[in-house]
Amino acid sequence: MAASAFLPRELALALFLAGAVEVGLFGLFVVAGQNRARVTAVEAAPPEEIAIAVKPVLDELPLLKLGSKHVKAKLPDMWTKQAPVQRFEEKSAPSAKAEKTPRAIPTTPVATKDAEAPPPDAAIAKQVDQKLADAAPPKAEANLPTEGAADGVKEGTETDPLKARAANLYANKLIGWFQIRFQRPTGMPCEVVHALSAGAQITVGPDRTIVSFSFSRPSGNADFDAKVKASLEAEVGQELPPPPPLYPDLKPQAVLTPTFSGKDAPCVE
Amino acid sequence: MRRMIAAAFALLLLPAPSAADTPTATPPGAPAAAPDEGVLGAFVITGVNTAERLPKIAVLPSLSPDYEDVIVRGVVRRDFELTGLYDLIPDSKAPAGLYGFEDPIDVLAWQNVGAEAIVKVSAQKKDANQISVLGIAYFLNVGKEPVYQKTIVVPKSDARITAHRITDALLGALTGRPGSFASELTFSGKWAQNRRIFRMDADGNSLLALTDPMDTAIAPNFGAPGHILYSVSHEYAPFTVMDHFQTANKPLNLPFNTSVYSLAFNKDRSKLAVAVSEDSKSSIYVGNADGSGMKKVSTSELATRPAWSPSGKLAWVGGDPNQGSQRIWVDGKPVSPAGFTAASPTFCDTEDGIKLVYSVATGNNHQDLIIAAEKGQNMARLTQNQGSNSYPACSPDGRLVAFFSTRDKSPGIWLMSLKSWKAQQVSTQEGESLNWAALPAAPGAP
Repeated sequence: MAASAFLPRELALALFLAGAVEVGLFGLFVVAGQNRARVTAVEAAPPEEIAIAVKPVLDELPLLKLGSKHVKAKLPDMWTKQAPVQRFEEKSAPSAKAEKTPRAIPTTPVATKDAEAPPPDAAIAKQVDQKLADAAPPKAEANLPTEGAADGVKEGTETDPLKARAANLYANKLIGWFQIRFQRPTGMPCEVVHALSAGAQITVGPDRTIVSFSFSRPSGNADFDAKVKASLEAEVGQELPPPPPLYPDLKPQAVLTPTFSGKDAPCVE
Repeated sequence: MRRMIAAAFALLLLPAPSAADTPTATPPGAPAAAPDEGVLGAFVITGVNTAERLPKIAVLPSLSPDYEDVIVRGVVRRDFELTGLYDLIPDSKAPAGLYGFEDPIDVLAWQNVGAEAIVKVSAQKKDANQISVLGIAYFLNVGKEPVYQKTIVVPKSDARITAHRITDALLGALTGRPGSFASELTFSGKWAQNRRIFRMDADGNSLLALTDPMDTAIAPNFGAPGHILYSVSHEYAPFTVMDHFQTANKPLNLPFNTSVYSLAFNKDRSKLAVAVSEDSKSSIYVGNADGSGMKKVSTSELATRPAWSPSGKLAWVGGDPNQGSQRIWVDGKPVSPAGFTAASPTFCDTEDGIKLVYSVATGNNHQDLIIAAEKGQNMARLTQNQGSNSYPACSPDGRLVAFFSTRDKSPGIWLMSLKSWKAQQVSTQEGESLNWAALPAAPGAP
């Protein structure tokens, strides 16, 4: 009879140690899930709400009219055949946030791996039999019954974006003309001069010549008002810049109502 | 500036002045007056004219191997650079993509590199002798539809001039004032012992000598479309006026036996002004375009170099007997500063109105350019401490002034934007009596 390689005592010890390792490992898993060192899903901090003061500012003239490029051969939207809407089947996706209760077990099939999420405003159905070949394409540019620009507004009047741009440039040109002719007062205390403003009315003749002016609202500061008056007096008889040659109908208003402001005047602290 | 306008319109929201303040109050029951649709009503004046920001514009690159496409695109881009009106996005920042004749434009990609407007020009062969030239402009604030689009078919040899015409049309779309790069400059320049008449395109290309090198030709100016008139002397004979058209030079019959030093036509070319030698002095005569009905109009002792303003005013260089120097006279009155020798008056029909531009001597044999209102008031210097600057000539659209300059140790013809004041050299030719006029209109041109 051959002698065995290990004594029964050694075999028993090996079995005990192997069992202890297994039990110890299991114990570690149990402990690891219950103490602070356990691995937890990190959730991104929810965005913080920040109050923003919205100050509506009217844009420069003339406002573009809401509409679209007039295409005679194309029916307006209301007469266009509506394309069928592709519906999406209701499916569930695994979530780490799901409650561990029987009620949380999804009642719909689980989505396949890497399945694309439906659009947020998609129509959802229990069951979708068919993938539509002629589903609605991405929203095309509107074909509104009125001519205008896609980013226009209902109150807009100008359908020609080129003219709207030229009008804007011309308005800037006219404002620049007045800016360089106003000699700001100097040497006044900042808190005084920065708060000063005066209103005027300027009458412009049909040939763009400045005919006359009047103070509609003096600032109350003699020095500031004297500067305003001097600049207005110097402008009388002068001709405002001509409109762009392609848009000779552009013109300054017959009565301009500028406000002279001292907010950018050099001052003494 | 945009913020300023917005602020101006915000002011509209302020309480309106009382009815008593209003100069013309509508009586009750009267029909409401039509709204004043002028471009400017209420606005704020602070006395600060902030420098206008140059809009960023993209001129799409050309990846085509076609010679015509490269020429057209290169000419248009250079023209836009010369305007000084735009901050051109460099080709190195162009988004990846196709830039062929019919390839669509990736408006969003260009918007991402900061373009506010996009210009695409392209050319391709139509047949052996003709090319199709395409010009498109987009405003990115308006949408993805082009605001300007034109395709024209022209002879192959007209690629350059067509590119200039496309630029002019695109500038019209972008600003309301068409450009004038489809134009030419003429001047007299030294050639061995004599002076010859030259012409060249507005961007300095296609320089041509028009006169015989054995003659002395001076003071060229433009007449009817395509005509260049100049004074010429052969073997010390008195200067007579010749009319160059296409390749022929014909004499213009004027009722003078003495030298005619210079001439100018008014805007509609119905009147001709000439500087004529008289008793060792010179005078300005004005008559019909064909040289008939000439009458003396100058009142100064010496008078030469006539120039008409677009509104019909006549300027010339006149000797001032009191000061002993040459001054610029407009409609019979000296308008340039007394004590400074002035020369070379010309008028610019700018977007700010008509301006008078001339040169004054500033010492060290240098001259500088002065810009003033049409009647000479509100003078300002156009150049200072940048070499000698002389013989100004305005582009037909009033945006640029060309002049001879010795600045940057690079003498030649320079163009200066009257909006951004940026000067760029277009030629190394030196000379005198620079003039600038539009090329004859072409049928079917944009």
